Amino acid sequence: MTFAVFEWLNSGNNLSFILEGFAINLEIALVAILLALVAGLALALLRLSRNRLVSTVAGLWVDLFRNLPLLLLILFLFLWIPQGWRNTWENTIPGWAPEAFQSGLMLAGLSGLVLYNSAVLAEIMRAGILSLPRGQAEAASALGLGYRQSMLHVILPQGLRRMVPATVSQLITLNKDTTLVSIIAITEVMRRARTVTATSGNPFTGGGVDAPILEVFIFVGLLFIAVNFALSRLSKRLEVRERRRSGSVPKPQVRGLEEQVA
Amino acid sequence: MPFAFFDVLTDNFDAFATGFGTTLRIVVLSFVIAMVVGTLVAAFRVAPNPWLQRLGAIYVEFFRNIPLLVLLFISFPGLRRAGVEITAIVAGVASLGLYTAAYVAEALRSGVFSVSKGQIEASLSLGFSYPQTLRRIVLPQAFRTVISPLGSLIIAMIKNSAILGGSILALDDLLKAGRVIQSRTFETVPSFVWAAAGYLILTGLATVAIRRLETRYAVRR
Amino acid sequence: MKTTRWLAILALALGLVLAGCGEDDEESGGAQEESTPAAEVEQFEPGTPLGDIQQEGTITIGVKYDVPPFGFNNPQSGTVEGFDVDLGRAIAERLGVEPEFIEAISDNRIPFLQDGTADVILSTMTINEERVEQIAFSDPYFIAKGRILHKKDDTEITGVDALAGKSVCTALGSTYEATLKEQAPEAKLKLVDSYSECLESLQNGSVDAVSTDDVILTGMIIQDDTLELVGEELTQEPYGAGIRTENTELLEFVNETFEAYKTDGRYDTAFEKWIGQYTGAQPEPPTISVDEAVELVKQSAG
Repeated sequence: MTFAVFEWLNSGNNLSFILEGFAINLEIALVAILLALVAGLALALLRLSRNRLVSTVAGLWVDLFRNLPLLLLILFLFLWIPQGWRNTWENTIPGWAPEAFQSGLMLAGLSGLVLYNSAVLAEIMRAGILSLPRGQAEAASALGLGYRQSMLHVILPQGLRRMVPATVSQLITLNKDTTLVSIIAITEVMRRARTVTATSGNPFTGGGVDAPILEVFIFVGLLFIAVNFALSRLSKRLEVRERRRSGSVPKPQVRGLEEQVA
Repeated sequence: MPFAFFDVLTDNFDAFATGFGTTLRIVVLSFVIAMVVGTLVAAFRVAPNPWLQRLGAIYVEFFRNIPLLVLLFISFPGLRRAGVEITAIVAGVASLGLYTAAYVAEALRSGVFSVSKGQIEASLSLGFSYPQTLRRIVLPQAFRTVISPLGSLIIAMIKNSAILGGSILALDDLLKAGRVIQSRTFETVPSFVWAAAGYLILTGLATVAIRRLETRYAVRR
Repeated sequence: MKTTRWLAILALALGLVLAGCGEDDEESGGAQEESTPAAEVEQFEPGTPLGDIQQEGTITIGVKYDVPPFGFNNPQSGTVEGFDVDLGRAIAERLGVEPEFIEAISDNRIPFLQDGTADVILSTMTINEERVEQIAFSDPYFIAKGRILHKKDDTEITGVDALAGKSVCTALGSTYEATLKEQAPEAKLKLVDSYSECLESLQNGSVDAVSTDDVILTGMIIQDDTLELVGEELTQEPYGAGIRTENTELLEFVNETFEAYKTDGRYDTAFEKWIGQYTGAQPEPPTISVDEAVELVKQSAG
């Protein structure tokens, strides 16, 4: 180890190269969580449907995708998504979207992330809705509200609000999961870090200060820890606020842990 | 086409089985590490000593917020380049174990808090030392509460183990087997379906085992 | 969840899968933006594959991003460079369009070609029997030899016969998986996504050797001179550009481009620039046909 630890950060445009990559991860996470929330809500509603067939099939779907490794989904989609879809993606993606999103590969990465996380979020939402005291639903129907109306105005707003802390936790996990798309050759932070370690200090590829793998990836790790730690603080504050507002913690303290694990 | 579907399994059964076995081994080893380290960290977190508490908190925040893939790069090529002769399987199992340990620690900590303070105080006033209190009163009860979350962690570990094969560690796990078979036969759907089936078998077994344990031991809250 | 539920999940998964199985061939050819083709370039009718490419204004070429000197993404210059890349540019130039390079890793290059993501694959791809069944190849543009790379201070590996019990790295989806299984059945294979990972593994000592085409290995030696080639050549590896089987016009076009490239001196210049100046070797543009290449590979694989 050299005396000047992390000096490779100053050399060339290594730092901006890696930070740009990190921004891509965050962007992917943001887009994925938004899409997954929409899809997850749809799934949750299907799950809660009074039609037995619909709720069972939706339930199986959710259970299936919650139990498969995310990387398996991503790699499969990467190899299977046909050209027509990739083309449509590249045609419809607006010009102002970041460069990494322009590639059809992002379709596979995003789909994998959304498929998986929508199933997870569907479960969180369902738990949030089911955790509402029965009285709410009964009161709504006593007031003459139909199923749809009571859902829209009473159940969903309260149930969904309860799952905000859990959703922020899931965003933390999603942030970490975005690194998996590096395996399908999307140039986010992991790929870029690899490029920096492989090419710096190497006369064939331009020279510069040698960047040891250990240091580079510790740096990348710290980037993630910083962002995720901030998010977890936010989640705790939201949980405290929710507790104050509704007067109780809706679920036992250890709930939601499983969804947080990568 | 339907025949090719099953052919992919029968022709390559050895490869799938080997991958399955490797994944199973990885999960078991990582689980042991996660439980041992996780218990230790949880103990730190609830210790009366503020330094130990801080250490535990740092551990948890570090390993919960860092992506597993980054950990793998640090522990395998990172350490090897720095001179440590670590093998891929050790790096993989250690990373997955230490990573999951942070979650185990949190689950146990919540379980510990579920044991009422009164019991801890009573035990201490009866002359038990703090370690003894932990060992005989708190932890046994805490364990029972946490069977369900621990079960979820095992399932998460099974899923995360797939990352080990896809990373530079290149361990020959179940997902790897699926990819190798796909690259040889070009039968994308069957290769991945059978690999996925393997993972579902593992998570299914874990779920069944957890349910059994729950009905036998868990405390209803 | 009961056992029946798990069976139900598997059944649903099977259902999804069978639905997905039907999606085998998808047409390519979505014309995007138009750009006027350059002058002095042979124009093709829109509606023909070449005409469509000209209408789009770009030809998508899959190359390696991490295999110097054939295709690698140079972070200092921000572009992809290499011998394969230069060949790709020659094709694009002759067609009067811009080349768009994408990364083709070993296990996705043929699917990318078949589904139309890439028009041409120029990524150190060996012509062999199995691949010829899936796609069409241009005439060979380079003949590499399979070799073994190890650390200079390693005395145990002297050749392919000495690989028993040793760990050898090669890329997932490359021809070396089969070659090594045949020629060194006792060796422990480590399969990774890309050769840069093999280089890393060799450098950090987690594998004993890397086996692939000599030029790729030379690229590794250039980056790290503690490595050296050892032993006899394992195989002959004729590289060809990959093109979709149905796209016969593009195949013809590429072959004509290569013919010109080989004879008008551009081949020699590129060879010298990327390979010759490091290895001292002389350029030898291959003159064999695709079928002869397939034979060559079969014989040399033993």
